[in-house]
Amino acid sequence: MEILQYALRKLLAGLPLIFGVTLVSFALMVYFGPDMTYQLLGKNPTPEQILEVRHQLGYDQPFLQRYLGFLREIVTFNFGESSTGEPVTALLAKTIPVSLILILPGFILGHVVGLLLALAAAYWRGRWPDKLIMAIAVIGMSVSFLIVIIGFQIVLSSSDGLDLFPVRGWNASSLGSYLSYVTVPTLATMFVALGYDTRFYRSVIVEEMTRDHVRTARAFGLPESRILLRNILKNCLIPFITRVMFSIPQVAIGGALLIESYFGIPGIGKATYEAIVTGDQPVLKAVVSLTAILFVLVVILNDVLYRVVDPRVTLK
Amino acid sequence: MNAVTLPLTAPNRASGESLWHKAARKFGRDRLGMLALGVVLAYFLVALGAWLGWWAGGWADLTGTKWEPVSSAHWFGTNIIGQDIFDRAVFSTATAFEVGLSVALAATFIGAVFGAFAGFFVGSWIDEFLLWCMGVLDAIPFYLFVAAVAYALTDNPWAMQVAMIATFWVGTGRLIRGEVIKLRGMEYVEAAHSIGVSELAIIFRHILPNTGHILLVQASITFVSAIKAEVILSFLGLGIKDGMSWGLMIDESTKEVLAGFYNNFLAASLLMFGLVMAFNAVADALQDALDPRKVG
Amino acid sequence: MAGDAGRPVLKVRDLTVEFATEDGVIRAVDSVSFDVLPNETLGLVGESGCGKTVTGLAMLRLIPMPPGRIASGSIELDGRDLVPLPNRDLEDLRGRDISMIFQEPMTALNPVFTIGNQMTDVLCRHRDLTRRQARPVAAELLAKVGIPEPADRLEDYPHQLSGGMRQRVMIAMALSCNPKLLIADEPTTALDVTTQAQVLEQFRVLQAEFRMAVVLVTHDLGVVAETCQRALVMYCGSIVESGTTADLFSRPRHPYTAGLLASIPRLRSERLAELPVIPGRVPDLLNLPAGCRFADRCPRVQERCRAERPVLTGRDSGVACHFPL
Ligand SMILES: Nc1ncnc2c1ncn2[C@@H]1O[C@H](COP(=O)(O)OP(=O)(O)OP(=O)(O)O)[C@@H](O)[C@H]1O
Ligand code: SF4
Ligand SMILES: [Mg+2]
Repeated sequence: MEILQYALRKLLAGLPLIFGVTLVSFALMVYFGPDMTYQLLGKNPTPEQILEVRHQLGYDQPFLQRYLGFLREIVTFNFGESSTGEPVTALLAKTIPVSLILILPGFILGHVVGLLLALAAAYWRGRWPDKLIMAIAVIGMSVSFLIVIIGFQIVLSSSDGLDLFPVRGWNASSLGSYLSYVTVPTLATMFVALGYDTRFYRSVIVEEMTRDHVRTARAFGLPESRILLRNILKNCLIPFITRVMFSIPQVAIGGALLIESYFGIPGIGKATYEAIVTGDQPVLKAVVSLTAILFVLVVILNDVLYRVVDPRVTLK
Repeated sequence: MNAVTLPLTAPNRASGESLWHKAARKFGRDRLGMLALGVVLAYFLVALGAWLGWWAGGWADLTGTKWEPVSSAHWFGTNIIGQDIFDRAVFSTATAFEVGLSVALAATFIGAVFGAFAGFFVGSWIDEFLLWCMGVLDAIPFYLFVAAVAYALTDNPWAMQVAMIATFWVGTGRLIRGEVIKLRGMEYVEAAHSIGVSELAIIFRHILPNTGHILLVQASITFVSAIKAEVILSFLGLGIKDGMSWGLMIDESTKEVLAGFYNNFLAASLLMFGLVMAFNAVADALQDALDPRKVG
Repeated sequence: MAGDAGRPVLKVRDLTVEFATEDGVIRAVDSVSFDVLPNETLGLVGESGCGKTVTGLAMLRLIPMPPGRIASGSIELDGRDLVPLPNRDLEDLRGRDISMIFQEPMTALNPVFTIGNQMTDVLCRHRDLTRRQARPVAAELLAKVGIPEPADRLEDYPHQLSGGMRQRVMIAMALSCNPKLLIADEPTTALDVTTQAQVLEQFRVLQAEFRMAVVLVTHDLGVVAETCQRALVMYCGSIVESGTTADLFSRPRHPYTAGLLASIPRLRSERLAELPVIPGRVPDLLNLPAGCRFADRCPRVQERCRAERPVLTGRDSGVACHFPL
């Protein structure tokens, strides 16, 4: 109950943010986005036809009116039909699950492996395992996502490489084919996250290691490994949670966009990208509002988790 | 007002001279950092030569046939239509510096100014507004935002840079805001206040110069982000419009690697990797050298 | 054991601790030697930054490394040198044979675990107890250090307790395995005056009950007078005078000790947060003078003092001064 009340309060506090996100995205993508008029018309349209199409697309209305109409669509969650004629909700229902099962494994693995490497580096701080892991992390940070994708594809999927997985495409009809299609994107997502995440996790852990309470734990003879895995780690959870939470929207949209475009996977990222390119307003509007809502959910969940892991935090 | 001369420097920081001296000394002792700096400078010379037309002028010419292998005429071979990959990769180095420098300088400048205003007027509506802007920019996923800007500015050759600058300043802005909140409480700032130095002068002459160490590190981090983002945006068709870049080369290579031709891909990725890696190492070394807390 | 009443629990010889800093190596503790006898309370006094905490930490080999290191010397606990000891053996010994209470009660406890959790950690580590068995023991310990409703307090997190309460919890934890030696690093400095008095009183009672040796680090000469049998006076990383409390207070021989005593306020009710002020400044540890380190502030300084560094004349009772009082 308390949490529900809190979430509601937080949602209200998040309204300016939702307002800002929708306003900026709406202005950029929809209002200043590509003009679709001429693509919908045949050759040599009459001025009446032009006016007619522009009216249908809402181009003849003032900005404010169109934006308010957009807000109404968000609240009712009714975005109409995409320019291909498919209802937007159906499109979302079809593409979002694909993106979820595509991105989730790499996302989780990236954070888990990054954390494990960071723990190892922190445990052997200043010695060779630490230096090795950190050197690899800098290398990981220096490779572009796209290069990683192509590299993994060459090594794992091409006939010049190991030829283990399909080169591109998507088929999740069975577990076997799902695994064969998801492996290369997962490895790429994980690898790219690893460099930054390992460094981040290590720096938080090492900072926490200098705290007085760690010295106290040592002074009472608790073993170093236990201090690291229990006393220190629990104190690091707040920055960790923030990191994981706020990377969700980025990965869910950004990561999906790139991977799906590259491998030709029919997820929400590819749909978004195509909508941007073709100026498919209803889809863009839906994605923008979903993003804003996702962000606010992340903020709320983030605070609720704070409260769970840190007794000093109250939901005020 | 200008007649007032007081020792308005930050006590230990802008005995600043010595902070920078000390940092330079520390950086000089950092062998890896110096090596990385050398690599960056070498890249810069390559870029400079390309700008001045000393080399790589023929990056767009058809000097060979399709997919020629490595030879003395074509050091990295030729691409699908017979252009020299070496020339293209070298020319792209110049593009990388153009993109990296313009984005890093502009984003760091905007971040510094907005961050300083937010921090100096912390709690006021200026701060609230700037925080709201930062929150909104953070909430919109980067690629979505860039794509949107790119399409909104379809015919503008700077669309990609504008989009990057519009998002990359946020990180710097937040850091500077935090630092300025700390600095504004310090004695020398209050002293300046009390003798009636204008707020703008305080911000720009007395506070911002003391955040130089943060700005330097942030600029080098932003440089790296910009080069990396360029590759992905070029692949998405949102990048460099005319000219040549590593991103365009890699985009080109996506069709080639499936046919078993890797020269284009390798040339662009390795050159890019070298620069980004060196720049990352320089950023790390700078951070170490400028961090007053760091020991040893 | 009983027959060994005179044999030191702890023998420190020529202990030197250095820190590598950006500007050079700091010698925070310089050739310090002393003994701690069973059941005695040894005072360690000196100005801020003179190396008291570092000395205390060295007894448990808790110097942060890097930047610190024990450059030389030995620390013998019951005849066993701790300096070369492997970490595993040290871990067995810390909190069981030798405990430490820290200067900063506000940060010394882990903020995200309950008091009970942290106390049972220590109890289960060194005593053969399950967590369930350890809880009543922990509650009992809290009662001993004067914490009301101890069973409830076990469920509390550190931030729910006052500074005085937290320091009592630290004391309870330190006593939980009945150590031979307790290092108490300014256990009361961070507390307000009334709480200081209460905690110190409790502390004295407990020391009698647990029969352990204590090294009491403090700023407060009053506390030394009331609590310690012997005391060491530290200055710039070295011991400048040692002796029984009675001797030190009635016949101080080092000009520094004399200066400290002279500036104690007559009214015992005002306990001091800082040592009384002696004119002049402590020299920079990076830039120590060649001769006596107190020379710049000493009223008795002569030429020889600047040329030649005085050595401590005796370990248990001695002075490091060319011209003692
Ligand atoms: N981790 C460290 N790194 C570098 N120098 C240190 C470190 N810890 C202590 N020192 C140095 O060692 C010297 C002695 O410090 P110490 O904490 O022992 O003083 P103290 O006598 O306990 O002072 P106080 O009364 O303020 O607690 C100081 O000059 C300090 O600068
Ligand atoms: S040696 Fe000299 S300077 Fe040092 S304390 Fe003694 S009299 Fe003073
Ligand atoms: Mg101390």
